[in-house]
Amino acid sequence: MKKIILRSNGLKKHYGSGHTEVRAVDGIDLTVYSGEIVLIMGPSGSGKTSMLSMLGGLLSPNSGSVEIDGIDITSLPGNKLPQIRALKLGFVFQAFNLLEALTVEENILFPASLKTGGKKEAIERADDLISRLGLAGRRNALPKTLSGGEKQRVAIARALINEPPVILADEPTGNLDSKSGQEVMMILHDVARDEGCAVVIVTHDPRVEDIADRILWLEDGLLRDRKDEEHHWVYDPVCGMRIDEWTATLFSEYEETKYAFCSKRCKERFNETPESYLRLNDPKG
Amino acid sequence: MIRWALKSLLSNKGSLLGSAAGIAGAFILVIFFDAVFRGESTQIVAYAENTSPDIWVMQKGVANMHMATSFLWDWKADNVEELEGVKRVTPISYLNTIIRAGEVEAFAFIVGLLPDADRAGPWEMGKGRKIEKSGEIVIPDVLAKLTGTGIGDKVMITDRAFTIVGLSKGAYSSANAIAFVPFDDLESILKSGGTYSFLLVDLEEGYDPRMMAAKIKNEVEKVNALTQEEFIRNDFAMAMQMGVEIIFMMSVICSTLAVLITGFTAYMQVVKKKREIAIIKAMGTGRASLMGGILMQSAMIAFTGFIMAAGFSFVIIPHIPALAPQLTLVVSFWAVAKMGLLAIVISIAGALIPAWNVTRLDPALVFNG
Repeated sequence: MKKIILRSNGLKKHYGSGHTEVRAVDGIDLTVYSGEIVLIMGPSGSGKTSMLSMLGGLLSPNSGSVEIDGIDITSLPGNKLPQIRALKLGFVFQAFNLLEALTVEENILFPASLKTGGKKEAIERADDLISRLGLAGRRNALPKTLSGGEKQRVAIARALINEPPVILADEPTGNLDSKSGQEVMMILHDVARDEGCAVVIVTHDPRVEDIADRILWLEDGLLRDRKDEEHHWVYDPVCGMRIDEWTATLFSEYEETKYAFCSKRCKERFNETPESYLRLNDPKG
Repeated sequence: MIRWALKSLLSNKGSLLGSAAGIAGAFILVIFFDAVFRGESTQIVAYAENTSPDIWVMQKGVANMHMATSFLWDWKADNVEELEGVKRVTPISYLNTIIRAGEVEAFAFIVGLLPDADRAGPWEMGKGRKIEKSGEIVIPDVLAKLTGTGIGDKVMITDRAFTIVGLSKGAYSSANAIAFVPFDDLESILKSGGTYSFLLVDLEEGYDPRMMAAKIKNEVEKVNALTQEEFIRNDFAMAMQMGVEIIFMMSVICSTLAVLITGFTAYMQVVKKKREIAIIKAMGTGRASLMGGILMQSAMIAFTGFIMAAGFSFVIIPHIPALAPQLTLVVSFWAVAKMGLLAIVISIAGALIPAWNVTRLDPALVFNG
């Protein structure tokens, strides 16, 4: 039976006051079950990151509550939150956020050092994750020598080392090319299915929709189910991926035409030599 | 956390060495000025220290040697010598004035010695011999180097020419170079016939210098008598008023600079690692652990700086007088050890504010891609 792992009630976060008040998150109710993958999409500035920060205990809400695995983290004193983050949550970031001086193995083991005991088990689990995520040959490598895809796999392994019930991922495919993005997506899918983690992903990347159990739309601080007819599909001129133009955030203009991109990398490639990609896609070219 | 703190510090060796070198620079300045301070302090009382009588006798109202003028009638030396417990009295005449060597002028303290007054200096000869007859002078070897003179050269004191016959060691500091001339020659310059400046009094064994000084003051008319310890203390205090205070102030300024550099380095270290610290915090590292990591990094940088400074102090500073003989430097082990302790304290103090800021750092920074 599926268990409620993450729940928010009337979650609010407002910035500023009076005329300048911004309602980043304005009363969100959300329930996520174990093994479920929930995708949160929405335009830039819609409050996705504020919401994820509150769900992860990194930002205090103005009102409302967040429960993780039955613990109301919003009513916990500040000095208890780090332990909750270490044991109950795993974070995956767009910018990978690996610790540059530590090797792959040390990065993965870092959160394990924040809980007491179980060093031997942590090393065994790190070995298992390294093997499962295809990092066996990179165990002693430093982050600067890894590809984007490898970095994100290390970040996922790090998020999983303490076997948290919740994984929060912020644009996990945002800095990856389409192949690496696809790999990361499948790993997150397996994490939810095999480990029983509740996975909440904030993204603009429509590829991730394929693995999601639920897609929610955040706009004006409010969360609602997204309907299929709200798509406006266009194609990334570099990798050819289908992108919802309404939710895309990466654009570039060339010869008075606006192009949308799935990732920063595609956008950068396009900006270097736009003609080559347009010629490639031109049926006459 | 400790592993991260160590590895992140060592991962950028250039930055670590740069920061440590900045701190080392400040510490070297502190140790250098301390060495100058100690060197000058030691040298300023070098004459009294090296001649080391039990009691100094001088004109009433005079209590030290530097920049002082003292006249005692010669019969007062006989009065002192006649007292029970006095073993020997060695009179000297004394003048502080300019020695000229060609166009070069140097401030010096001139000591006039009687023919049998070996115990009144010079205490160590570097080259040549001691004075034997009128018109001869022994000057410090450093002064000879600075004025470009040597054995056989002439130097002038007021309008009188003296021939250098010897170069003494350990008789020079920037505040007082001590030269030795025959007593009669200095008496003639001072036009002080029948007088001495100071009496160096040695006592028989078993007599207390303090009691004997009091006895001399009591029984010999219009004289002041001080024990060696009192005389040196007074001279040192006078020297402090003359210029050592400036050196001491410079030591204080450099210490302050060291504190500021260490604090700034610790602050910059935190600023550079701000994002990684936010990641670590987001992953669930507690406040105490974070502060411990930051303070440990700062202490390590300061300690590396201290090791560099200590190495420089013991290896390089002792060779500086060979290049700049006018400098008298004394590197004290305790001064360096004190600096090591100071390094740890100021590195922790300097890192406290940035470390405290780290604990308040918004871990949501990690979402800024």
